[in-house]
Amino acid sequence: MKNALHKHGLSIFGICLCCMLLLNAFPLFAQLSYAGPANKSFWYQQRNVKITLHAKNEKLQVVLEKIEKKSGFVFVYSNDEVNASQRVSVNVKEKQLPGVLSEILSPLGISYEIVNDKIILKPVKADDPLKNGNSDAALTLTGITVAPDIQNDTLIQGRVVDNTGMGLANASVQLKGTTYGTTTNNEGFFSFRVPADKATGQLSITIVGFLSQDVSLQPGQPLLVRLSPDQRSLDEVVVVGYGTQRRISVTGAIDNVGNEAIAGRPVANMSQALQGVSPNLIIQQRNFEPGQGVNLNIRGLGTLGDNTPLVVIDGIPGGDLNLINPNDIENITILKDAGSAAIYGSRAANGVILITTKKGKKNQKPVVTYNGIYGIQTPRITYKPVHAWENAYYKNESLVNSGMAPVFTPDQIREFAERGDGNWRVDNIVQNAAQHSHNVTVRGGSATGTYLLSVGYLDQRNNFIGPDYGYKRYNVRLNQSTELGKLKINTILSYVKVKGKDHSSSSGTLIVDASRVPLYYSFTDSAGNYLTNAVSAQFNPKAILEKGGYRQSNDDEVFGNISLEYNLFRDLKLRGVFGGTVRSNHMFGRRLQVNFIPGGVYGDDREVLDNNYKSLFTNLQFIAEYDKQIDDHSIKVLVGAANESFEEQRNQLKKTLTDPDLGIPTTGTIIDQGDSYNSNQRIIETSIHSIFGRAGYSYNDKYFVEFNFRYDGSSKFAKGNRWGFFPSVAAAWMISEESFMDFLREKVSSLKLRGSYGILGNQNVNAYQYQTTFFNYTNAYGFNNQAVGGAGFTLGNPELTWEKAATFNIGADASFLDRRLDISFDYFHKVTSDILYQRRDVPELFGAGFPDYNVAKVKNRGWEIRVSYDWPGKVISQSFSVNLADNLNELVALTYGTTQQVERKEEFELLRRVGQPITVYYGYKRNGYFQNIDDLEKYPRFAGSTVGPGDLKFVDRNKDGVINDQDKFILGNPFPRYTYGFTYTAQAKGFDLVLFIQGVGKRDAMIRGEQVEPFHFGYGGTMYRHQTDYWTPTNPNARYPRLAEAGSAANTNNYRTGSDLYLFDASYARLKNVQIGYTLPASITSKAKIQRLRIYLTGQNLLTLSKLDFIDPEITEFDNNTSFNTGANSARAYFLPVFYGAGIDLTF
Amino acid sequence: MHSHMCTKYRVTHFSLLFCLVLAVSCKKLDLAPADRFTELTFWQSAENVNNALNNIYRSIYTSDRFFYNEAMSDNAFTKLGVNTGADAIASGNFTPSLPRFQQDWAYYYGGIKSCNIFLENIDKNTILPENVKNRMKGEVRFVRAWHHFNLMKWWGDVPLLREDITPDQAKTIGRTPRVQVLQFILDELDEAAAVLPRKEDYAAADNGRITRGACLALKARTLLYEGNRMQDVVTVCEALMDNPGANGNYGLAPSYAALFSDKTVNKNNIEAILSLQFVPSLRTWGDYIDFAPISAGARTNNLSPTQELVDDYIMLNGKAIHESGSGYDEDNPYANRDPRLRATIVYDQYQWINPDGSVQTIYIKPGSSPAGQSANEYTPAGQGTATGYYWRKYWDPEYTAPGFSSGLNIHLIRYAEILLTYAEAKNALGQMTEDVWNKTIRPLRQRAGFNSAGALDYPGAAGDFTAIIRRERRAEFAMEGMRIDDIRRWKLSETVLNGWAHGAKFGDPAIDNGYLRVQLRHFENPTHYLWPVPPSERALNTNLSQNTGYN
Repeated sequence: MKNALHKHGLSIFGICLCCMLLLNAFPLFAQLSYAGPANKSFWYQQRNVKITLHAKNEKLQVVLEKIEKKSGFVFVYSNDEVNASQRVSVNVKEKQLPGVLSEILSPLGISYEIVNDKIILKPVKADDPLKNGNSDAALTLTGITVAPDIQNDTLIQGRVVDNTGMGLANASVQLKGTTYGTTTNNEGFFSFRVPADKATGQLSITIVGFLSQDVSLQPGQPLLVRLSPDQRSLDEVVVVGYGTQRRISVTGAIDNVGNEAIAGRPVANMSQALQGVSPNLIIQQRNFEPGQGVNLNIRGLGTLGDNTPLVVIDGIPGGDLNLINPNDIENITILKDAGSAAIYGSRAANGVILITTKKGKKNQKPVVTYNGIYGIQTPRITYKPVHAWENAYYKNESLVNSGMAPVFTPDQIREFAERGDGNWRVDNIVQNAAQHSHNVTVRGGSATGTYLLSVGYLDQRNNFIGPDYGYKRYNVRLNQSTELGKLKINTILSYVKVKGKDHSSSSGTLIVDASRVPLYYSFTDSAGNYLTNAVSAQFNPKAILEKGGYRQSNDDEVFGNISLEYNLFRDLKLRGVFGGTVRSNHMFGRRLQVNFIPGGVYGDDREVLDNNYKSLFTNLQFIAEYDKQIDDHSIKVLVGAANESFEEQRNQLKKTLTDPDLGIPTTGTIIDQGDSYNSNQRIIETSIHSIFGRAGYSYNDKYFVEFNFRYDGSSKFAKGNRWGFFPSVAAAWMISEESFMDFLREKVSSLKLRGSYGILGNQNVNAYQYQTTFFNYTNAYGFNNQAVGGAGFTLGNPELTWEKAATFNIGADASFLDRRLDISFDYFHKVTSDILYQRRDVPELFGAGFPDYNVAKVKNRGWEIRVSYDWPGKVISQSFSVNLADNLNELVALTYGTTQQVERKEEFELLRRVGQPITVYYGYKRNGYFQNIDDLEKYPRFAGSTVGPGDLKFVDRNKDGVINDQDKFILGNPFPRYTYGFTYTAQAKGFDLVLFIQGVGKRDAMIRGEQVEPFHFGYGGTMYRHQTDYWTPTNPNARYPRLAEAGSAANTNNYRTGSDLYLFDASYARLKNVQIGYTLPASITSKAKIQRLRIYLTGQNLLTLSKLDFIDPEITEFDNNTSFNTGANSARAYFLPVFYGAGIDLTF
Repeated sequence: MHSHMCTKYRVTHFSLLFCLVLAVSCKKLDLAPADRFTELTFWQSAENVNNALNNIYRSIYTSDRFFYNEAMSDNAFTKLGVNTGADAIASGNFTPSLPRFQQDWAYYYGGIKSCNIFLENIDKNTILPENVKNRMKGEVRFVRAWHHFNLMKWWGDVPLLREDITPDQAKTIGRTPRVQVLQFILDELDEAAAVLPRKEDYAAADNGRITRGACLALKARTLLYEGNRMQDVVTVCEALMDNPGANGNYGLAPSYAALFSDKTVNKNNIEAILSLQFVPSLRTWGDYIDFAPISAGARTNNLSPTQELVDDYIMLNGKAIHESGSGYDEDNPYANRDPRLRATIVYDQYQWINPDGSVQTIYIKPGSSPAGQSANEYTPAGQGTATGYYWRKYWDPEYTAPGFSSGLNIHLIRYAEILLTYAEAKNALGQMTEDVWNKTIRPLRQRAGFNSAGALDYPGAAGDFTAIIRRERRAEFAMEGMRIDDIRRWKLSETVLNGWAHGAKFGDPAIDNGYLRVQLRHFENPTHYLWPVPPSERALNTNLSQNTGYN
């Protein structure tokens, strides 16, 4: 193995790098001193103040006051805990504050913590209560020292909670302008005494990660103080690749999304929940059916292949956002640029989403939380067919316009009007459906370990009528950590079961068959028989849903992760991680035969199908982390090696013509050879070896620089093209720390500039593509009425290698108004080259398809901005948060010299052309209508076409007097631009409100089919309300041309030519979520031993604003690369569910 | 602590660490698929070579091309033509970027590639006997000629590929003049005929393979389509008609209807020269789900026979319907007609025989059906017929679910064609004698079920043989995709593909005498006699010229 490595030059490089870094670091390591703040992450501010101080046998209180004057910090402590009158001596010269503090306080058994401008003093907790005999001893002792004054003191008590009502432990509570104060206990309660004459004024409450707050004392009243999280605290620790960083030292474009962004939202999975919460994290849906995935991408489309970002859950790549329980998530970090993502090298080109699950806390009694939501989903049906009698009238008009005779007599039309409409409409195959979820979490910890156990259940019923269709997910998670001396063991175990049941047909077909039949017809007759009719002659969707069989999925996923962390020396940590995911999916489907009246049959194949899938993913990582602080220099080095291996197997058995009742084999049953396969036909194995590292240096928390690299070898590529090196460099400058910014310090809390550049990789191609292979298959042909096998071939491309994305990012983070206003901006420029794509330079004349080649190139630019503002009021505290982003890609090269590729999608075309966004709509532009006979003479038209008034004119682009292929335009870009999210929250007197709006500022959608074209061939039998704006002599500026039958010259000119007639503006704004909650006062709930009880109403997708009103503007026809292989959007997606419900959050 | 010691200690640790990673991650990066052969090993196995050949057979033709090409002619109309493009081609409302052109171009060149790869690699196999390999090569050369013939038929000049080409060649190769392509096809067919066995020489298990007879038959068709090689046509046809000992024994199957719908006759008859082979429930075609009457279980009707086709079936007395004395009654139009009409087309009041032998009446005329039996009625908005007619020919009473999966063979060349080709060539040479009549038209009509002297007997030298032969071809080969070829080579398209295509007399009597207007067609003469070279191909290969009239 080692030899193999040498061949790649890997081992030499890797080991040398590690050694060099370590050798350099070591002398620093030797100078280490154990003095230091309890939490050294929080001392960036003013920490470089150098202090000279002489004191001999002075009261601690006096010494602290002196330090306060010199440093600008204020000390906060409880007289119950810290004896401020004990005498100390100190003699330091030009020494940094932390050193001074350690020197004074350590011998006294006092620890400190710096929070903003406060230094909180606390007694060092005894590690082992047994050793000291009695854990309360110290308290008792200090209690005695203050005892003499107790009669004259006033008791100040209350509770500090977060905005969800959870008690906050270890918050500092200080009576302003004094040294009186204390910290809160585990449940957030505090109490301390001050001399009665001082019991006025304001309490100042401070805790890391939350905005400080001052509240007025109300004599005799316990206080409830609610703190808002400080999203932007520079001290906050953010999760980055293979570790964490202080926010201040972040040099890349990282977006951190807390779990409050998803709390209380009735979303079935994480990917839906992420929509709109982070700028340029773009989420699109192909339909809204329960259990369906979404298109998720970061910063738009950078490649012609898969643009899905890498998802890393608890450090293990390759997680599934649809399976994780949203309630288990503590934090989501989105790595957008090369600076932050390069450590994931080969897979990072599309960005990385890091998910961290919740954990218990040390020294915490068990906390039990229950979260439940129950509600009803209502399908949002956006189009309406016209009444039966109206439709008959329109049909006649269409026939007459086409030179044919009308088919409905006035009497028949009158009869339709009198009889009313039939019930064959899509509204009758959907219904309201319940969705509910329940989660119970228990968490806590001892002095040396933590635990979290969570159990979740989601039940989302399907809106289709029929027997019990829906989606259920069960999640169990156990997160544990244990410390054994220098060894830390983290274990994560999660189990997910998903059970889905749906009908045996395709949802799109059912929806379209139910919605395009004119209202002359009904689904059933009075005897309950299922009917067919002239438009839907073969199928009855209601029957298929109710009687046509089902598909049942039953999927299991087990995820396990053990991480061993060993503090080899004080600043050097070694970590080994072993994680794996086992997936085992099973699908059973059965089609049942249903006969219709007067004709037609469904499921006469009586198919029975089993499909099994099993996969194993393993990930092994070894990481060494070195972290060193010397005076103003801070160094962080991380190196690691990893392997990821994956294998999957499938098998399937399909039988047809089975027993009609039991679905078991009987006379005539056939095993479908083409659709049945054994495991050896469906095995995929892939593996990646990797070495990666990061080196960061910062000076004085003012200047930061960071290098990342990853070196990956993938089995998807041939030897020689296998290994890819992906480096990045990033730097940041904390301008606000410069002295020349002093004059602005009041206004500008912080200002940081960031920049990064790096190369990222992408290997999202199918395995084995570098080899030309031949495969045998069955039933290729027949001789003498006997089937024979055949052999086909797939060409390979031995030169296949990584895609490379060179990404440049520049950004700024600024905070104003004491960090209440926060603005972040990023601009990026990414050029992806060697994009894996099928060759488009070779004509079909060649006679065979191609594997992927490293041929295309895409440029992608964009920006994102995020503004948030916290407005804590006396009664009502509010927050606003807006994110807005744009990205625009451009195809720079397609394949070799070829500059364009056109793919016809029914009537219109998709185009990939160099210089344009990677996929655009292509076709003719309308130029009004032929209004009269004169017009017919004057305007160009298609050669040989016979048009009349009310037919479309098209722009003659090249002015040659005839409309032909040369007159096509680029009509639009189907990918969203100007995506945004807006969140508003408010809290007052226990009430809270959340509003969340998400939208897309610009998107073009071309929609085909019966929703656009009246009577679409014979498929569509009805017109819809939105189509009645068609041309007539009295409606000369209509949206749609005159009615005409398929096959007529008018219809061919208007509807078969692929013009912007099919183009719609799909921008929208959607009120995604509204929550109104009420948290019961702790004074009431605490009596029932309840820490917190919140009840709330929640609604999802409540309101949509869009010019495109007859189908959902959020729906896209594309998968995650605006692929050419998808069909056109024909408005047959499962409807958007509008959710109304209520929820409970309960914590014991 | 001493720094140097620690450094050493740590280096050891790191070496250990990396070794561990690599040791544990023992999955190699050289991974090969388990269910496939590589280039190195594939051709060694005789089984694989056979499979590669079978794959080439599969690519000869598709059922949808076979049937839907009918809608490009005046025989039929397809309303949902999007997938086949036949509606646009028939109506003349197309641009060169119509996908159908590119699809067919790619289909034939895909077939040619498989042939060329086969021919260039088969000799790597050392197990198969030479004579077997030679036979296989003959089969493949026939298929390669067949694809070139189709390309030449639609486009005229086309790149001629005698060997497998590289991507770079595909980007630069130009169109070979039609005359050279023609010569290549004829030469290849001659050479294949020389090595291929007669149909009788094959083992029973090989029933369906390409024979010497098939080579001659395709050669006859190729020469006939030239229009100016009639003497050569006669020679080739006579080799098939008069020399069964050398080229195989062919004749007419006794029943016209059974040839297409009876499993036994369809698969074993004296008439089939080349058939696309299918096997019930294993290799099937399912187009009938859009052809049959709705009450027979169809989903929709997407290929409807036109009134123009129906009108060309002669009367039992041998006269065309509009000839004087034909006895044709417009109010009872389907009585006393060529029995092949009934075997091919379903008309109003048709007695449809169900798979179980029972009979149902197909009511198509609007408003004519008893209650509950209206599914087949013509309605302009419906899923039923667009013309007032459905199909019966090639209906498989033993179809299997799902849909109409049929294992019936599709006849690409049958002996009836040789007879009519011979008749046409003889007629063109002015040699349509009673002897020729009695060898060609007469037996075909006899087999069809005619028995009147007016239909069977030689009409005398003054007979309008051109019209008779054309009508005979149309009726005999309706629904077999021959009509579009015929009207192109007869230069009839400009006549029959201009104006309305019609359906049955269910419409407003004031419009076209009540015959339903189905599609308004337009044919640009002479441009539309050749298809446009796909613009997408020309964009990638600038040496591909375009046919006149297209840009």
